[in-house]
Amino acid sequence: MKTWKKIHESPALWDRYFVREKVIRTIRSYFEKESFHEIETPILIPHPPAESYLDVFETTLLDRNRKPTKAYLSTSPEVALKKLMVAGLGDCYSLTKAFRNMETQGKLHNPEFTVLEWYRVNADYFDIMKDCEKLLLALAGGTTLIYQKQKINLTPPWERITVADAFKKYANVNFNEFFDMDTARRVAINKGYKVEKNNTWEELYNQIFLNEVERKLGHGKPTILYDFPAAVAALAQLKKDTRYAERFEFYIAGLELGDCYGELTDPVESEHRFDFQMKEIKRLGKTAYDYDNDFIEALKVGLPKCSGIAVGVDRLVMLLADTTSIADTLFFPAGEEFNLHRV
Amino acid sequence: MGTISTADFTKSTFVEFKGEPHQIVEFQHVNPGKGSAFVRTRLKSLKTGKVQEFTYKSGESVTEVPVATREMQYLYKEGDNYVFMDNTSYEQFNISSAMLGNYVNYLKPNDVYQILVNGDEAVGLRFPKKVRLKVTEATDGARGNTVSGATKTVVVETGAVVTVPLFIREGETIAIDPETGAYVERA
Repeated sequence: MKTWKKIHESPALWDRYFVREKVIRTIRSYFEKESFHEIETPILIPHPPAESYLDVFETTLLDRNRKPTKAYLSTSPEVALKKLMVAGLGDCYSLTKAFRNMETQGKLHNPEFTVLEWYRVNADYFDIMKDCEKLLLALAGGTTLIYQKQKINLTPPWERITVADAFKKYANVNFNEFFDMDTARRVAINKGYKVEKNNTWEELYNQIFLNEVERKLGHGKPTILYDFPAAVAALAQLKKDTRYAERFEFYIAGLELGDCYGELTDPVESEHRFDFQMKEIKRLGKTAYDYDNDFIEALKVGLPKCSGIAVGVDRLVMLLADTTSIADTLFFPAGEEFNLHRV
Repeated sequence: MGTISTADFTKSTFVEFKGEPHQIVEFQHVNPGKGSAFVRTRLKSLKTGKVQEFTYKSGESVTEVPVATREMQYLYKEGDNYVFMDNTSYEQFNISSAMLGNYVNYLKPNDVYQILVNGDEAVGLRFPKKVRLKVTEATDGARGNTVSGATKTVVVETGAVVTVPLFIREGETIAIDPETGAYVERA
């Protein structure tokens, strides 16, 4: 049954769906109070950010003579916001739609989703942690949140734990040794995981993370997991100990809600990472595209020291509506609209 | 025993996990932030009925366990076991309540069910998405009350208690989702 029909039959359902508008209003009022600019970033773009793990939606832009140009649906407003920070914008955010293909299955994804990204200039990732704490307090309208019968105390400061400490605590892995590929392989095999020749370090790391660490995070109190290995740095600045990057994610009840970086500002290093991502896209057989040279140009002019985060708004809504699937908070979930089988 | 990939997973795939046969009862594709693809599963042990989670690397090869489906008639309950009979061979099979989980509430003696067999052991039951059962006890729901969302509880012929809309009356047949026990529709 379509959602509109379900609501027509049970008007009590409206409350669950109205959580979204409250969340959006609260986000806007939080950033207005913090004197941020809200930026409308484009959704139809010529170059998606270089990210090998994402599948993009590709489409075609036609001129009056039907001459085609490749176009894509944005996977994140990050690059647009960073160019404007180069131009001198200062603190800014975007609350927009983003698109990721091949994400039709599962309770925590919709191929079209709402993302909140905000950036603070002359700030580091510890400043963004404080934003997360304050924003969640505003969204919950108090210090307590009940999710799936679990009481979450939102009072700052939240638990802060490094990836290395979390691996030690929950998976009994010595991360200093785990950086070595042969050791990582041995650790994974001893734990009973299947390790094949072509498995990457990132796969071994993430399989242990997903099976043994992730679900333990954010119970009773949100957890900020920080200082990720450089292999999953994406566009984060490396730390002085270059095995690690300035990146954090925050979790509530085992659910990942946001991903933050101390932003990489070096154009040369950025180009290296883009080249690597493009090679990965080819190796993995994903929809290929050219990365955005204009973004490299912007980085050469100079991105100020800044830190920013992407937060999945649909997951926030799901958390506050106390449901276990984001489809239950969308009037028109993709699975229902396209008649896809929901697992 | 054959080898399959995570891409072949369905809700009725049977795999070897830690040396024991398991049924994949739930699976979803997940991407950790800035990471490659994984498949998160809930696996039910065919020996103990215990369910646990495991996340596979996308594309990982997994050993499949052969499981056949045979039509059998449900006879009776004996202690903690439910006894089924293959009407062609007259062989009898026991399935424990742990293996049947929620489904035990909707079994009707003499009805025929799809039984999953691994080797010479019955390991589960493939229930339809909906089971139709007669309501045997119902209080009179406020007649003509059409306020949506209002519910009451009724008892169906297997003894299970089901939450239904007010308009359902004794003697009617209703459809229930045996996995969740939720009322689906008036049958």
